[in-house]
Order: sequence, then C-alpha cells, then structure tokens
Amino acid sequence: MGGLESLGINMPTLLAQLINVAILFGLLYLVAYKPIMRMLDERSRRVKESMEQTEQIKQQAERAEEEAAKRITDASREGEEVVARAMRTGEEVRKEAQAQARQEAETLITRARAEIQQERNEAVGELRKEFADLTVMAAEKVIDRSLDKKAHRDIIDKVLKEAPTLKKE
Amino acid sequence: MAKRGCLGCSFPLVIGLLVVFLVLIVGGFVIGPLGQSMLGGLELPGWLTALSVDRPDPRLPAEAVFHIFGFPITNSIIGAWITIIFLVGVSYIITRRMKLVPGRLQAAFEFLIGWLYDLCVSAAGEKNGRRFFPLVTTIFLFVGFNAWLALLPGFGSITAHTAEGEVALIRAANTDINMPLALALTSFIFVEFYGLRTLGIHYLGKFLNFKEFFRAARQIFTGKLKAGASGLVTGAMTVFSGLLEGLSEFIRIVSLTFRLFGNMTAGEILLLVAAFLIPWLFAIPFYGLELLIGFIQAIIFGGLTLIFLTLAVEHHEEEAH
Repeated sequence: MGGLESLGINMPTLLAQLINVAILFGLLYLVAYKPIMRMLDERSRRVKESMEQTEQIKQQAERAEEEAAKRITDASREGEEVVARAMRTGEEVRKEAQAQARQEAETLITRARAEIQQERNEAVGELRKEFADLTVMAAEKVIDRSLDKKAHRDIIDKVLKEAPTLKKE
Repeated sequence: MAKRGCLGCSFPLVIGLLVVFLVLIVGGFVIGPLGQSMLGGLELPGWLTALSVDRPDPRLPAEAVFHIFGFPITNSIIGAWITIIFLVGVSYIITRRMKLVPGRLQAAFEFLIGWLYDLCVSAAGEKNGRRFFPLVTTIFLFVGFNAWLALLPGFGSITAHTAEGEVALIRAANTDINMPLALALTSFIFVEFYGLRTLGIHYLGKFLNFKEFFRAARQIFTGKLKAGASGLVTGAMTVFSGLLEGLSEFIRIVSLTFRLFGNMTAGEILLLVAAFLIPWLFAIPFYGLELLIGFIQAIIFGGLTLIFLTLAVEHHEEEAH
C-alpha cells in the first residue's frame, strides 16, 4: 500500500473525483448533449423534410409539364380534326351545290325541250292546215271542179298519214 | 499604396520586436542554470538573478489545500471543479438559447459535439453510438479541457498556505493519479454495464467459457474418446483465453490510468523544467506541444473507451449458435 500512497492514490480523493466525473456527466448531459442532440436531430429532420419537399415539387413540375405537353398535343390534334371536318363540310357543300345546279339545268332543259316540242307541234298543225287548204285550192284549180269539201279533207288526211315527214307526234 | 513592411507591421516595429525577443531569450539563458553552468559563474546584479525560476519540485501526490469535515480537498480536486465549471458554464451559455440557424459560437460547439457523435456512430453503429456518445464525449471534453486549462497562468503558480506548507492552489486534475483512475473506473463500469445489459448473462460467457470443455467431457463419458480428448484440449484453451480476456478488462484500467497520468504529469514537469533551465520565453514551444498532447490524450482516452464499449456489446462468435 505504501507504493500506492507514494503515487498519490488515496480513497477520499478518488471518491471525490469519481463524484466529480458523475456530476460532470450529469450536468453536461443536461446542458450540452440533450439540447444539442435535439437540435441536430431537428436540423437533420428539417433537411430531410425539405429534400423530400424538393423531390415532391420536382415531381409535380414534371407532372405539370407532361400534362401541358399532353394538352398541347390534344389541342393540335383537335385543331387538325376541326380543319379536316371543315374541309369535308366545304366539299360536301360544293358537291351539293353542283348537284343542285345540274338538276336545275336539267329541269330547265327538259322544260325548254317540251316547249320547243309543243311549239313545233303547233306549227306543224298549222302548217298542215294551211297546206291542206292550199292543196285543196290547188286541186280545185287542177281538176277545176269543186269537190265535196268533206271528201277532200278525207283524202288529204289520208295522204298526210302516208307522208312521213309531217307526222304528228 | 503598396503595403510595406513585414507581417503587417512596419519595419522598425518588426526590428524592435525581434530585439526584445532576442534580449528575452538571451537574458533567460544567461540567468538560467543552463547558461550559468555553461558560461561559468557570471557575476550578475541581484535584481536580475531574482527573476530566475526556482528549481521545480514535482510531487506525485496531490496536496490537500483545506479540509471539509475531515475530508481533504486537494488542489487537483479544485482543478477538476474549475474544468467542470468551465465546461458546464460554456455549454449552458451556448445551449441556453439554441437556434436552428446557429451563430458562430453555437456552430463551433455543435461542430465539436457533432464530430464526436459521428465518431461514436461510425465506430459503434447508429443505435449504440447514440448510447455511448455522452460518456465518450464527457471523457473527451474533460481530459482535453483539463489539460488545456492547466496551461493558463494561475494553475500551479497561485499558492496557498496550508499545514503542509506552501502548496499550489490549483493543479491540473489529471496530474493527480486519482482523476485518471476515476475516469478509467468510470469507463470500466460503463463497459461492463453496457456489456451485461446488451448481452445479458452471455456477456459473462466471454470470460468464463466452459461450454466447449464440458461438451468434450460429455463426449468422453459417452464413449467418443478420440473426439473428446481433442475437444478437451481446445476446450481448456478456450477457458484459458476467456480468463485472459477477463484479466485484460482489469489491465485496461491500469493502462488507461497510467497512460493519461504519465502523459499529463510528464507534460507539466516538462514545462516546469523548461521554464527552470532557461527562464522567460523558452518554454513557449512546449506549451504548443502540450496543447497537442492534451488533445491527443483526450482522443485516446475517449476513443479507447468507445472501442471497449463497442467490443463489449458485440455478439461473440461462440454465442452466435
């Protein structure tokens, strides 16, 4: 024990220093480790949070960008559709107008043709009558005798029936 | 305007400082015992020799400054108190108003604590590092700041009149072997405590490892003589190595104690001797050295404690199955 004494080891001081260490441990735990660990944890939590937020915002931005791109594509497709539809409609309208015009023209032509036919018929009728009269007159002159008017007419009609050019239609 | 001069001072000032420096060095050399013996008894005026330093008289036991109810309060206890007051005071001032965005002082303190915390986590893992960190940090801070505060004027130079005569009022706590011993015991107690708490009764199995020995003995009784005999030999060896490991737990206390005590005491004696041989400026480089040594000892004591703690809570190979 004498060796330890000369080194300076003695119970009371050792005990006192042990208590000192315990006190220091306790006090530092209260005033240093606990608040600082809390602060460090809090800070790392904040950093993590803000990084997560950044990630979220980035994803949101990406989503928005995608959406915008999709919308632009949709809109341009729609626009193309509208233009195509308009062109189709225009074409249809044009065709319809053409068809109508053709129909009207045909109607006009038909009517005109009918009128022409009628007029021609009238003219032919008149001509025939005149011709008949003329013929009767001429025949009177030729044969110099007046025929029974009725008999004449019958004869002429018969002749006319045989004449192909002046046929009534 | 071009900056003239050297080290931010004008040339006359630098030259003046150099002269003062040289005079102090040479003067110290001349009045010190080293210069006296080399120059051979130069006659010096009395006022100059009065400025020389007394021969250091280092004593290993700490001196009691006063007694409280018969309980001796030594100067090393006072030194420990001063370190404690300093550490707790600074910590309190800094952490009283903690801010999420720290000021300079808080950032520096947080850096120190965070560095030690990272050290603990990197050595012992996330969960254990968090448990060990307060003890390791306390040991680091106490050893380091005790050594650094002891370099301040006042430690060892303020004396008190006691029954034992003129003694220093304050003495660095770790130059008295009771403090390193107390730290080593604390380290030991925590190591065993965490080992027992984490591994339970298996922790003791590391030191009293009879498992293999008994298994071999059983084999011999059941007739497998050959396997049993070789098992008996390896079993005896594991028992022996377990006992050695148990012994080393106690040797750690001694090695931790004397490493710290020896380094701190030697540092103090080195400063005293340097100041004695060549008084005045000569000891300054050694103060720088002591700063470094204080830091290194703090790292060693804290780091070893951390390693011992980590080893104690590790699952031993034999316990795995």
